[in-house]
Amino acid sequence: MVRFLVITTVSLNLMAQSSSPLLQKNCIDCHIQQQIPSELIYRRYLMRYSTHNEVRKRLLTYLKSPSKETSIMPSQFFLKFPQKEAMEMNESALVENIDAYLDYFDVRGKLVLP
Amino acid sequence: MLRSEKRSLFRFLGIYLSSTFILFFLATVIFYDFQKHQIIDTQNAELSDEAERLTQALRQLNKTFTPSLIYPQEKPFDSAIYSLDRAYIFGSFNPKNLLWDKEYYQQGEQLFHIHPLYPYYLGVSHLVIARTINQEPIDNLIKMSILFLFVAGILFTLLGVFLGKLFIAPMKESIEKMNRFIEDTTHEFNTPISTILTNIELLDALYDCEGKQEMKRIEIASKTLSRLYEDLTYLKLNHNYHRQIETLNIAQLTRERIEYFYTLIEAKQLNLNLHIEKNILLDMDKNDAIRMIDNLLSNAIKYNKKKGLLMVTLTQEKLSITDSGVGIIEKNIELIRGRFKRDNKSEGGFGIGLDIVGQVVERYSFEFDIISTYNKSTKVVITW
Repeated sequence: MVRFLVITTVSLNLMAQSSSPLLQKNCIDCHIQQQIPSELIYRRYLMRYSTHNEVRKRLLTYLKSPSKETSIMPSQFFLKFPQKEAMEMNESALVENIDAYLDYFDVRGKLVLP
Repeated sequence: MLRSEKRSLFRFLGIYLSSTFILFFLATVIFYDFQKHQIIDTQNAELSDEAERLTQALRQLNKTFTPSLIYPQEKPFDSAIYSLDRAYIFGSFNPKNLLWDKEYYQQGEQLFHIHPLYPYYLGVSHLVIARTINQEPIDNLIKMSILFLFVAGILFTLLGVFLGKLFIAPMKESIEKMNRFIEDTTHEFNTPISTILTNIELLDALYDCEGKQEMKRIEIASKTLSRLYEDLTYLKLNHNYHRQIETLNIAQLTRERIEYFYTLIEAKQLNLNLHIEKNILLDMDKNDAIRMIDNLLSNAIKYNKKKGLLMVTLTQEKLSITDSGVGIIEKNIELIRGRFKRDNKSEGGFGIGLDIVGQVVERYSFEFDIISTYNKSTKVVITW
């Protein structure tokens, strides 16, 4: 639990420091406020679907109609974090935000050779 | 060992060793191929182990949320990670033209292993691991295979020689029996033949004998026997005989031998045609030269037609003796050079004449050609 909180805090702080203004305004501010671990969510989606295209599709479905059924997060996750409301954005704006989110957490930018 | 024995032994060894070598070569190639696959399989297993290690490392990295993720590369392996759509994510190398449908494969000097992954840690659905083939065990295998072939070759050659000697033993025994018989017979020939010839010469010199024709026949028969004795003795002693090489006047010797055969030539009413250059000198043993000339003349007379042509040509380069006799069938020309081989059995003889000529020619590195037209003529040419 302590590890989870540390990870969440670290990633939220990092997000706050260097995310794009669009992502910052529409997603990160709220995620920081509610301490929702964005990178953990990204990794979980990536672990399930592997490609950004598939992850984008799944996240879009969720954002258009947020529910436990459209999410792949475990039920305990929703006990700890509130269920999100549907965002008042058109589909292209949602896709734009999702792409910024995926780019920001993209593992390609983080991997380095020893 | 006689030439025929040597030929039989070499033929046997040739067939035996070539078939054994082919068999062993094929067996070695199959063994090498099998062992090489084993070596490659072992190296593939190492790739598989590396894939497991990478999988565990990626699982750990997937739980790590630090700003940079250190890629778990380990030498001597190269690896790369791919997403489900086979897009390159990261790696220590970026190979092209991957064969996605194969789990293990070889490309040039590299071994590749494609390892599927689920769950997709860091989005990775395939690991591609490669390593340069470790040539050392393969090189050792090649050395071992060559050594095996070499040792087997020596062992089987020795075995072949042993089996070959067993194989020709009955033939050798028969030849030895024949040689012993010839040896004993020739020994018994010597004294009576010498006595007959000496007495014929005495009779001819001292008395005016009425039966001249009969005397000539006795002389011819005795000379034939005498020559046969000389030939058989030559064959018997050939290997142990001490040769005295001297400068011979072959022209003079040829004339002497023609003189010796004159009674036979006259009896067959041959038309003698001589083209003998003067002072042809050769370094030879006299007995070898006599045996060579005598056998050629004897054949040319024996197989000639009555009133036929006998042409003897001697130049600085060659001796050629031509007859207008029965000739030799083309396919038999090479065969009649062997001992006890005869193309025409109408005349007496053992078939040792051309064998003796062949031995003399071989000893002095001369060349020996027979040009013959069946039922027309035969020309034998000795070139030095």
